[in-house]
Amino acid sequence: MQGKNMPMATGKKIIWLTGVFLALLIVLGPVYMLVKYSVSDLSSINTGGEPIPLWPYHPTLRMYEFLFTDSQFYRVFMNSVIVSLFTVLLSLLLGVPAAYILGRYQIPGRKLLLLAIISVRMFPDIASVIPIVEFFIKLGLHQTYTGVVLAHTLLALPYVIFIGIGAFESIPHELEQQAWVMGAGKFQTFFKILFPLAIPGLAAAAIYTFLLSWDEFIFSYFLMFGRQEIFTLTLYLNGIKYAEPQNLLAAISVCLSVPVIVFSMMVQRYMVAGISTGSVK
Amino acid sequence: MADVVINSFSKKFGSNIVIDRLNLQINNGEFITLLGPSGCGKTTLLRMIAGLESIDGGELFIGGKYYNNLPAQKRHLAMVFQSYALFPHMSVRNNILFGLKIKNVNKAKMQYKLTWVLNLLYLKGLEDRLPREISGGQRQRVALARALVLDPDVLLLDEPLSNLDAALRETAIEELKRIHHQVGKTIIYVTHNQVEALTMSERIALINKGKVEQYDRPKAMYDDPKTLFVAEFIGSPPMNFLEGEIQIQEGFGGVNTSIGFLKLDKDRAAKLEAMSGRKVIAGIRPQNIYFSEHVIRRRHTDTSLDLIVEFVENMGDRSLVIGRTRNSIVMRFMVTRDENITSDQKMPVFIDGRCIHLFDTMSRLNIFNNDGSI
Amino acid sequence: MNSQRNNHFLSETLVSTGVWIRKTWPLLPATFYLIGFLIIVFLYLATLSLSNPSAGINFPSLKVFSELAHDQAFVDALVNSLLFTIAGTPLELLTGLVFALMLYRNFFMRGIVRSIFLIPLAIPAIVTAMLIYILFDFPGGHVNHILSGSYPPFPQIISEPLNWRGSGLFALSISMLGKVWRDLPITMLILLSGLNTIDPELFDAAKTMGATMRVRIAKIVIPLILPSISAVVLLRSVEMWKEFIFPFVLAGRYRLLGTLIDFYYNNVGNSHKAAAVAMVLVGCILLSSFILFILMDLLQKVTNRR
Repeated sequence: MQGKNMPMATGKKIIWLTGVFLALLIVLGPVYMLVKYSVSDLSSINTGGEPIPLWPYHPTLRMYEFLFTDSQFYRVFMNSVIVSLFTVLLSLLLGVPAAYILGRYQIPGRKLLLLAIISVRMFPDIASVIPIVEFFIKLGLHQTYTGVVLAHTLLALPYVIFIGIGAFESIPHELEQQAWVMGAGKFQTFFKILFPLAIPGLAAAAIYTFLLSWDEFIFSYFLMFGRQEIFTLTLYLNGIKYAEPQNLLAAISVCLSVPVIVFSMMVQRYMVAGISTGSVK
Repeated sequence: MADVVINSFSKKFGSNIVIDRLNLQINNGEFITLLGPSGCGKTTLLRMIAGLESIDGGELFIGGKYYNNLPAQKRHLAMVFQSYALFPHMSVRNNILFGLKIKNVNKAKMQYKLTWVLNLLYLKGLEDRLPREISGGQRQRVALARALVLDPDVLLLDEPLSNLDAALRETAIEELKRIHHQVGKTIIYVTHNQVEALTMSERIALINKGKVEQYDRPKAMYDDPKTLFVAEFIGSPPMNFLEGEIQIQEGFGGVNTSIGFLKLDKDRAAKLEAMSGRKVIAGIRPQNIYFSEHVIRRRHTDTSLDLIVEFVENMGDRSLVIGRTRNSIVMRFMVTRDENITSDQKMPVFIDGRCIHLFDTMSRLNIFNNDGSI
Repeated sequence: MNSQRNNHFLSETLVSTGVWIRKTWPLLPATFYLIGFLIIVFLYLATLSLSNPSAGINFPSLKVFSELAHDQAFVDALVNSLLFTIAGTPLELLTGLVFALMLYRNFFMRGIVRSIFLIPLAIPAIVTAMLIYILFDFPGGHVNHILSGSYPPFPQIISEPLNWRGSGLFALSISMLGKVWRDLPITMLILLSGLNTIDPELFDAAKTMGATMRVRIAKIVIPLILPSISAVVLLRSVEMWKEFIFPFVLAGRYRLLGTLIDFYYNNVGNSHKAAAVAMVLVGCILLSSFILFILMDLLQKVTNRR
């Protein structure tokens, strides 16, 4: 272990640089492969025993062109957008008021509530999915957008509350008290002072929820199994894995990943903080 | 033998030059202090000696051995850090024995060393405590014990007293002096606190902007500051500084300043005659300005002055008086605390001409003390 | 007298509950939502797994569980899940530790490198699974080509292409590979935050006392980030037990408990067996977390011995 700014002997430096290089290769190699496959022509995939080229013989954007004009892909994409947006809406509607109370007030039973929220998060999705599907079948929510949105909200709510608590907690109490002193009521204080100041954190929570719903597979799969027309992107991708050529699979994968990567970079700060303190996984 | 020779040390962080062709020689067994304001490069210098920072330029010899390329692990030095850097998960005993265990010292010798150092630093009975279970002063002594037990050629101390409160610091200073006397190691001590430096060390290297301003015995640093920076830094309360010009008046060499013509002692006055018209800054310690009423016999090299008292700061055994001259120049001086002085009172004082320090306005060097400057 | 006091107590409780609700009503919708689902989950899991009316098993009965115990598919899945957890958790810890140590030093472009190291987390798990599906294709996938020595200077390791998804060991290994790759940033970040709480002067001090890199890692770093390591081990082992998507895409009939639930529910159509497996899975997680917690606590006591 070196200190943070220690000088290194040349030999050690070379070992360390090699390590970083290998690490970058491990992380970026698969990403490169994904992009490479998505722009490959068929002759670069079905090579007839020849080694697959590291860069396609005839790179092409045909798969993307196809996807952008394909009505089925469009519908699946829109399904994903609809489910994710409604999940964000519902999660924020339920989560932000709760986060406001938990972040601003030392109410009795606060610790117990936080513990309950964490335990909901720790419960395995694959175990809770059966009861929820059975319950939704009874309510007639099986194979509907509503069912999927409700389920995704259940998954996202703990994160929204935790990130929201952080956002509200970080606002100095003096600001709120100043508003009271100046005659603002509780509602006015919330909407004029606290909410605007918490927006960056809440935006992060919203993005995080969007990504969670966008990526989600288990609940989507169990709840939509058998009704193709409401399939989201993740399900669609899984469904065609045996049938389609690999370059199309890769192109769909890229379309599925790009929003996630872009949004993730936007909320990277919050994600890093959340993971480091253990509140986000 | 563990004399330390530093030849033309250089260190850069990016484009920022932290140590600038610095030279320093430390004799075997000597206790020296690297003193300077924060950011002057003193800690960097210490870390370069320890091998924790690379040496960008220059040479380091310890005991005549070329040390530049030796990694920290192989240098026969020990260091005490500002934060003490005690391993929080190890008992006092394991902290102290950490280095010996790495060197595979045999059990009997380890036990002997442990007993010796525990006795030396009054740590007996604390062996099984964890660092968080002992007091700040004890932690500081454990850090010192951990260094001494390695029997290093040179002991490096990086502001080891800065985390102690004032009362503890006094005893710690005495402790350090005692230990240096007992073990006789070469000690390099880093601090920004001039009191620590002046009371403990045999020599002080005052560092400013990566260079040694003056390397001297504490008394010499105080009595004969070689540069304006040394004069500003050493001594408390700070000196009075007045801009002026060297002139000859009534056959005496002196400095014409905003508060009038200041006379110097005979020897130096004679030297001034050759420098007439030179722009200088005169520095006068508050301790060298006296309240006239108490002095019966006055020298002809004293300069009289009338001050109006602005206010008085009680400093315990003495008081610092802040006064203004007729033309509103602020002067600070010391009186005994028995003096009954009130604001707006008029006070006749005089300045001891033997204790006026003169620095060249341009070069900022003492015009008498620097070889070749006159 | 006594009843009066009781009434008083009752009314006070009612009043304080009323005050509580008036103060904290914004909390209630989310609380009801979460607790409601929690109740439904437990209720359904219990009733489903403790009965099977169509097979003549009435609530409450452990018959479904005893049927499971005789089901080879279940035993296989349980063993697979256990091995998956036992192998995958240390693997995640180790890779995370290596990456965290690499990022700990300040170096040129560290921020960018860190962002790059976070990418696996930003790629949907299904995409990672699909990518591994493509790369480990048989017989003509990239990995088979690499291992056959088709890209010099990489040496030839196998003479015949391997059917990665054709054997349980390989299929679950590549599932684990995908899992470890995707979770790498999480493990890395937890360990990195642990590393950053250590005073860097400790390393300097160890250095001046003659400690080599290996000694510093073994005696200083590991003991001091043991709390972070415990967190990683606990969190990651739970994730390993829960794993679904990678074996679902990559391992087909070589199942873990998670994919077995899917198999029973969606393919066999037996919700009772599926619920019973879910109960077993929850039990496994609780048991393994408990054991690991005790173990990590013990380890902490041993390393922090005086």
